[in-house]
Order: sequence, then structure tokens, then C-alpha cells
Amino acid sequence: MAASILIVEDSALVTDAFTVLFGEAGYTVHSARTVADATRVGMEKSIDLMLLDLSLPDGTGLDVLGALRESGRAPRATVAMTGHADPQVRQKCLDAGCADVMVKPVPIRDLLRQIERLLD
Amino acid sequence: MSMSDGLDSAALRKRLAALEAQGEEARQTIDELKSRDALKTQFLSNISHDLRTPLAAIITHAEILREGMLGELNPRQHGSVSGIVNGGQQLIDMIDEILTYVRSASDQVSLVRTEFSITEVVDQVRLLNEALSAKKRLTIERLNGDDLPPVYADRDKLKHVLGNLIGNAIKFTGDGGRIWIKFARRGVDGDELLVEVGDTGRGIARDHYELVFREFAQVDSSPSRPHHGTGLGLAIARKLVDLHAGRIWVESELGKGSRFFFTVPLNPPRD
Repeated sequence: MAASILIVEDSALVTDAFTVLFGEAGYTVHSARTVADATRVGMEKSIDLMLLDLSLPDGTGLDVLGALRESGRAPRATVAMTGHADPQVRQKCLDAGCADVMVKPVPIRDLLRQIERLLD
Repeated sequence: MSMSDGLDSAALRKRLAALEAQGEEARQTIDELKSRDALKTQFLSNISHDLRTPLAAIITHAEILREGMLGELNPRQHGSVSGIVNGGQQLIDMIDEILTYVRSASDQVSLVRTEFSITEVVDQVRLLNEALSAKKRLTIERLNGDDLPPVYADRDKLKHVLGNLIGNAIKFTGDGGRIWIKFARRGVDGDELLVEVGDTGRGIARDHYELVFREFAQVDSSPSRPHHGTGLGLAIARKLVDLHAGRIWVESELGKGSRFFFTVPLNPPRD
């Protein structure tokens, strides 16, 4: 069965682009725009990897990861996506349990390679 | 006129009140300017962030096409789509430069100092600029530095400074020119490193030595100028060097080339 990816991102434009990308790369794709949505999807579906935008309308992406971990529903790997390479933000994400932090826009080859590696 | 005519207590009180009122007015003006400046900084920061998001989507879509994920492209289509990716990436770089400037100008930037090899960073920056310099048949050489001790500084920020200086040198040096990076130890006990980024480019007139480090300043600011950019590269370089308590300056000759210098602390010598 194809691995599943949850895109947590409040910009529909970015979500559309990732949906095409991961769909074409053979993954099952889910998406959510808010902390509440993402937590619900994470509880209901079996998610292998979560791509997490940090600033969401109702909180931060790390809130989603926290809620899912608390319920024992955390994905196998979570990658945080930030707009700016800030060492403090990076550390905060790693401390919260993210496997990696990538600066948007990530070149798609790098992104696909990293996801493949994390799901291996 | 007697003293008592000119400086009776009522007149003094009046002058004092007027001075106080002026002082209060000046304080209000300063407060207002400060709050407008903070608003401007916030605006620049927000707009930089908001510009990045749709741009990231554009670049991702174009990359999907370029990689042939939606079907093979012919060479002309591939070239055109690559143009979208490269143009988008250039815009992202400019937005990042504005964001870095805004952060450093509003003191939101702090240093994370570690020990590292500066020659390694220089070599990385050279590598990153290889494609760009090859296009103009420029040579970028590191002339020395293999025996230098590690510097004690913020690696990412010095990489940014070197990237801006070398990027500028590439921009303003004509085809077939030379760019070099050179080091010298100076200061008491040689505890300071002087880094030189030189080029055989068009040079800068002495009157403009200071202007080039000013934000948004470009020596040629006409719309038809041959080189476009944010005009922030050297202003950011100066801010980042200042944060390290270093100095940055330029020596140049029109038509012959420029040499940019900056200083950075080396680790205290060990026993």
C-alpha cells in the first residue's frame, strides 16, 4: 500500500502544488489547513509522514504534533517547513519531535529524497 | 534697559513654559517616528513572508513540470520552465535579503558563535557561485589560508557576508575577470583576521566608498541601470560584521577593480 502523507499548510496554493507532487510520486495525500483539522485527520487516518507548516490560523504546527503524540497517533516521521532558516526555530522543532526542518521552498528532488529516506 | 526689565520672573516663567512645551513636542515627534519605524519594519517583515508563500507554490509547480512528472517536455519547453524556476528562486533570494535586513536593522538578530574553518566556508561559497561565474568566464581563487586557526564567529552570518561580497564581485566584474579571496592576521598577537575579497571589475569612485554600504543605495539607481538588486547586500554585510565587533570597508579604483575588507576575531591562541 502506498505510504500516506498529511500536508498541514494554510496556503491553498502550496497545498495544491504538494498534492500534485506527492500524488505523482505515488503517495496517498491528505491535507489540512488548521491545527484542529490536522489533529482530526491525524486521529482518523493512518498517516506515515506529516509535513508541517509552522504558522497556522489557530495555532502552530507543533501543536498538531503535540496533540497526536499525546494520543499515541504521531506519524512515523514529521518534517517541519519554515519560511526562514532560524537556528532557534529549528531547535524548537527538533525538540518537539520533528525528524527534520526544511526551509521553503525546498527543491522537490531534495524533498522527495528526504521523505523516501525517512519512510525507509 | 535694566536686568529687571528683561528677566523678570514672569517673563522667565513664560520662556521656561515655552521651552518645556517645545521639549514635549520634540518627545512626541520622536515617539511617533519610532512607532512609524516599527510599523514599517513589521510591514516589511509581513510582506516578505506573504510574498514567499505564493512564490514557493509557483516554484514547486514549475519544478514538477521541469522534472517531467506530468509528462516529458521538449527541450524548448524545458528551457522555458527552467526560466520560471530560476526567476522564482532569484525573487525568493531577494525577499530573503529584505527579511534579513529587516531583522538585523531591528536588532532581532543574535550571534551563534562556534569555532570553524573560514577557508571551508569560502570554498563553499565559491562552489555555490560556480555556475554564475562560469557564465562570465570569471576565475574565483582563494589565494591563501590553509594554515589559519579556526575563527570564533557565527558561521551562517559570515557565510552570508562572504556570499554578498563574492556575489557583488561577480555582478560588477566583466567577462574573463578575476576575483580573489585573501587572508591576513593582524591585531595584538594576530588575534584578528583580515579577509579581503578583490576583483578586477568596474571599481567604485572614492566619493561612493561609504554610499555603497548604505541601505537601498546603489551607485547607479536609474531604472536603466545594468545591475538590479535590493541594494541591501552591503548594508547587511556591514550589519553582520558590526555584530561581530569587526569592521568592513572598501578600497577601489575606477575601471581597475575593488577590494572589500572585513575583520573577524580569531580564537584566542591556545597553549
